[in-house]
Amino acid sequence: MELKNGSRIGIIGGGPAGSFSAIFLLDLARQVDLDIQVDIFEPRDFTLTGPRGCNMCGGVISESLVQKMASDGIHLPDEILIDTIEAYTLHSDISSVRIDDDREEMRIACIYRGGGPTGAETQTPLPKISFDGYLLELAKTKGARHIPERARGLEWDEGFPCIHWPEDNQQRYDLVVGGLGLNSPGLKMFDGLDFGYLPPKSTKAFISELYFGDEEVERLLGHSMHVFILNIPRVKFIAITPKGPYATLIILGDGIDQALVKQVYGAPEIKKCLPQGWEIPVQTCTCQPKINIGAPVNPFTNRVVMVGDCSSSRLYKDGIGAAYRLAKSLAYTAISHGVSEEDFQRFFMPTCRSLDWDNRLGHLLFFGDALLRPYSWIQEAIITVIRQEQSDPDSPRHLSSALWDTFTGSSSYRNIFRRSLHPVVLFNLVRVLLTNLARQLLHR
Amino acid sequence: MLFHSKKSALGKTYEDGEIIIRQGEEADCMFVILEGKVEIIVDGESDDAFQLALLKEDEVFGELALFDDQPRIASARALGTVRVLSVDKKGFLQWIGEEPSFTLRILIKMAFRTRTLISEVVRLRKELRACQNKTES
Ligand SMILES: Cc1cc2nc3c(=O)[nH]c(=O)nc-3n(C[C@H](O)[C@H](O)[C@H](O)COP(=O)(O)OP(=O)(O)OC[C@H]3O[C@@H](n4cnc5c(N)ncnc54)[C@H](O)[C@@H]3O)c2cc1C
Repeated sequence: MELKNGSRIGIIGGGPAGSFSAIFLLDLARQVDLDIQVDIFEPRDFTLTGPRGCNMCGGVISESLVQKMASDGIHLPDEILIDTIEAYTLHSDISSVRIDDDREEMRIACIYRGGGPTGAETQTPLPKISFDGYLLELAKTKGARHIPERARGLEWDEGFPCIHWPEDNQQRYDLVVGGLGLNSPGLKMFDGLDFGYLPPKSTKAFISELYFGDEEVERLLGHSMHVFILNIPRVKFIAITPKGPYATLIILGDGIDQALVKQVYGAPEIKKCLPQGWEIPVQTCTCQPKINIGAPVNPFTNRVVMVGDCSSSRLYKDGIGAAYRLAKSLAYTAISHGVSEEDFQRFFMPTCRSLDWDNRLGHLLFFGDALLRPYSWIQEAIITVIRQEQSDPDSPRHLSSALWDTFTGSSSYRNIFRRSLHPVVLFNLVRVLLTNLARQLLHR
Repeated sequence: MLFHSKKSALGKTYEDGEIIIRQGEEADCMFVILEGKVEIIVDGESDDAFQLALLKEDEVFGELALFDDQPRIASARALGTVRVLSVDKKGFLQWIGEEPSFTLRILIKMAFRTRTLISEVVRLRKELRACQNKTES
């Protein structure tokens, strides 16, 4: 089951997973002189403001993805960049510490997935291009055809998958790529192909775009992403990211509701990052998208494969980077080997498995974090060790770099685990814990 | 523009004449040119200095560092204002492990450079032989 000259590929969804798939499929096909036709079904208009034009995310493009894309010749034009990140500030219930990048270089990008927050059109000039819109355009320049419609149904036609879309249109494909994300009811359509696909487990997150104005954002946040490890039940992670005149607030956790959001806004550490006397506006650009926290079941069969969020992703970070990785693996499998279930099992599945295994370690890391969070003396010790690493340019920055990679999504959880448990880190933590304990005893 | 603050550009900016990498230095990354032109020079600080290549936007340099452990073979100097993005060797090796096809573009670029180098060596050899023949006759 190989692709031949004239083979047709139908991609459902023109988010990052769909567009990256089209880009890599067309690039690789050109390398091997294969003439394929790629159709991308994407109904969303990425120039619109608010959730209508947006695939709802924090909008941070990880350090590793920026580098990978640049190596692949994909340079994010300045018109896409709303801001860049040069540091992370970790806030706990007791104190804060800033972790700077060792290189004096901007390698983390802040973007909007659509035309910007609701109401942005009346407040500021809009960013010219959205990230998703840029990738879709790039796929088109490589030769993909954009069909601005929602795929409505799927069925088998003599062993080939067939996509249906409004006004009784249908097309048979040699390969169908599902890149619908997790927020689409369209995922149900894959039941029609009856290959046992089940989407990964997900949970609802919370995102809000807060308008402070350029100067306030610069003063309060700088070019730093602010990460909060607070002892608020059900909350795993809170982040505030600068986005020009806006700040993006993200809350990840279980069962996020209005009461929880209010509790977050009321936390003293969060208040420090909000303008004084600032009230939650009645109408902010807010959404509660689903985030991938599990692994899919049967993400492929003959001539059908799932990529991006509706397949395997990375737990709580760098989802776009994971979509890039799966899209690359899919393109390599389809062009170099074939599009049978066996080909996907041999060449695409290892990438999914590696992401899924790493996420298990990620779950373990978050579990450990939840266990330790109520003990403020442990948080204090961690922050002290980071401060010591940051203040001494010659000291190895094991813990700082592990945390940097956790927040930037630049490295696997396995790597982060290995570095967090480095003997030097453990020694420093125990040393600080004992010093703090001795100080408290003396004080008494 | 309100939306584009000073630091909203990726990479690092070098002014005209600034050295980005120095010949003989230890190497731990390669660079992608995001904006501007970069001159690759050999023996940059001596009188025999010569330009090996002139690179522009979208091209890479220092990529040998990703594959071997040798010091930089040439220097890179900004020609006008230049913005470059570094790609870490450590990350690169990890990504190749995850996705072997990741190296394809870099390998194609390296193959192109090797081809250019071989043609250059052949051309120089021919010129040398012509000179030798002339002096002999
Ligand atoms: C709160 C939160 C914060 C996040 N922050 C970040 C971050 O900062 N950085 C990061 O890298 N990742 C982040 N992510 C993850 C990131 O959003 C996803 O990993 C990424 O969007 C996945 O891309 P995708 O293409 O698979 O899916 P999506 O981005 O969801 O795209 C799916 C596309 O399919 C289209 N579609 C759906 N149904 C149909 C249909 N029937 N026919 C045609 N088209 C259809 C949709 O219109 C959409 O454009 C975050 C996620 C959440 C929930």
